Amino acid sequence: MRLVVIGNSAAALAAVEAFRQIDKDSSMTMISKERGPAYSRVLLPYVLRHKVKPENIFIRDVSFYRSLNIDLHCEEEVVEVNVEKAFVGTRSGRRFPYDRLLVATGSDPVRPLVEGMEGEGVFSLWTRDDLEGLLPLFEKKGSVLVVGSGFVSLQAAWSALASGLSVTLAVRSQRLMRRVISEEAGCLLRDKILQAGVDLRLGVSIERIERLEGGRLRVFLKGTDPFEVDFVIVAIGVCPNTAFLEGTGIQIDEGILVDHRMKTSVEGIYAAGDVAQGPTAFGEERAVHAIWPTAEEQGRVAGTNLAGVELAYSGSLNMNVTQMFSVTVASMGIFEEREGIESHSLSTEAGFIRVLYRGDVPVGGVVVGSSEDVALLGHLRPFIRKHRPCPQDLSELRKFFAMDLVGTIRREHLALPRGRLSIPKEGSR
Amino acid sequence: MKIITINPDICVGCGNCEYACANEQKGNFDIKNSWIRVNFYPADRVCIPWNCAQCEDAWCMRVCPAGAISRDPKTGAVLIDEGLCAGCKMCMLACPYGSIHFDLEAAVSRKCDLCGGDPQCVRACLSGALQFVEVDRAYEFRRRQFDNVLRAMPGIAKQDGEER
Repeated sequence: MRLVVIGNSAAALAAVEAFRQIDKDSSMTMISKERGPAYSRVLLPYVLRHKVKPENIFIRDVSFYRSLNIDLHCEEEVVEVNVEKAFVGTRSGRRFPYDRLLVATGSDPVRPLVEGMEGEGVFSLWTRDDLEGLLPLFEKKGSVLVVGSGFVSLQAAWSALASGLSVTLAVRSQRLMRRVISEEAGCLLRDKILQAGVDLRLGVSIERIERLEGGRLRVFLKGTDPFEVDFVIVAIGVCPNTAFLEGTGIQIDEGILVDHRMKTSVEGIYAAGDVAQGPTAFGEERAVHAIWPTAEEQGRVAGTNLAGVELAYSGSLNMNVTQMFSVTVASMGIFEEREGIESHSLSTEAGFIRVLYRGDVPVGGVVVGSSEDVALLGHLRPFIRKHRPCPQDLSELRKFFAMDLVGTIRREHLALPRGRLSIPKEGSR
Repeated sequence: MKIITINPDICVGCGNCEYACANEQKGNFDIKNSWIRVNFYPADRVCIPWNCAQCEDAWCMRVCPAGAISRDPKTGAVLIDEGLCAGCKMCMLACPYGSIHFDLEAAVSRKCDLCGGDPQCVRACLSGALQFVEVDRAYEFRRRQFDNVLRAMPGIAKQDGEER
């Protein structure tokens, strides 16, 4: 059997690993439009603020591909999938025949459609090329306009500030991180960002960018006077890379529609990661959760099923965490009240914990504050996934989870009997 | 391979394990630097030591976007490479047991590394609630315990006329 995987990041890697564990013989080909071995996009902002060394963004080396007997083709962009003849074609004209195909092409950043948005001086923060373009600009410590209010843009703004740049942050909505955290968490974060010295503009959209002599940019935000910056970073969101699948008959909504086994609507073709729109932990409509953990889980499910062993995914559970502007923000599952869902919260030294419930079953949570509170959301995750009730008095939650550990200890962690002497000695029977 | 076993029934809550861990990991006795934690609720007479279980299928290891978490082939411990850790805290969000802690000074995640094969918490344990034993031996005990439960059930024949 010939397996072809398009992509070389979280989902693709998890898939080939899972596949090879089961199937030692089939041939595996990975096709990536980027250079070199796999690296982690998540780390790019950390490199910009010197928390991670540029050479440490790589999460696999060449020996990995060799040991799994993978034929890796880099800088080959797939432009065509021929379902009848079962091959994929790349821009350079190469064809790769497949028996089974995994599409793990991820997503690419989108930009507002305004004049001057493409070209010199305007960056995304998504690829190694972006990083390499931005690093020297960060060295120069000039001024930057960051556009967007998600994880990537806020991380970029923080990295720039930490590197000594003067930072303007333009956000179209009145709220920060609208899609990942609740309104009150967004407000707390906003205060921290203002305290840190970012020129934060909420509720503004970018109208156009003008290029000046010497490479500087003049930016026009709606309703304010134009101002000049050295460069612009845009991170307003990502879009699944599905364009090359047009005409294949593979069903695409927001992303590629997949079932619990990561199968697409076309036999023999699977999808996983940012490009896939799959079942969620809440059993609702299928959704694109463009996050690393979901990519990893879906990749593993896809790889296992591709190797012929049936494995159903219990659905993705969105989870996000970040520390920036001296505050930790994390969210999981449903993070805002809606019909049938109520929330309970608890103030903490550094912020708050909020857990949302449907009846007495937790469905999600938000944490702003310290790291140990993030661990509390971690405890909550199996309860959300398995729809197990837990107390609504959050001050009781820590103890409740501790008590729950006793069950885990009895089940998994092997409580030994009283005293060291009662362990059966070897040869004593 | 050896594992740390925990028996909450006999833990006395002395906290020695936490001090031993902090001392080994950071060279002081500040228990915020301890990767083992005793959940101590005296009013409820509850006292539960908890440490990383070094899960066989460790989710923290799989979700780490920096590839900083790996398994020590010698001890079986799940290790965080602090040179690679970006401090993103995804592992803390992933761990269902709260076994990963954040080191604010170094801004990296930290967890039990089994002290390279000689866990100091177990050495310092007063009551014997923590033990460091071969996996098969721990399972052997559990199998016997289960056996006993079965034999005590009505209708299950006792073997060799043994009284239990």
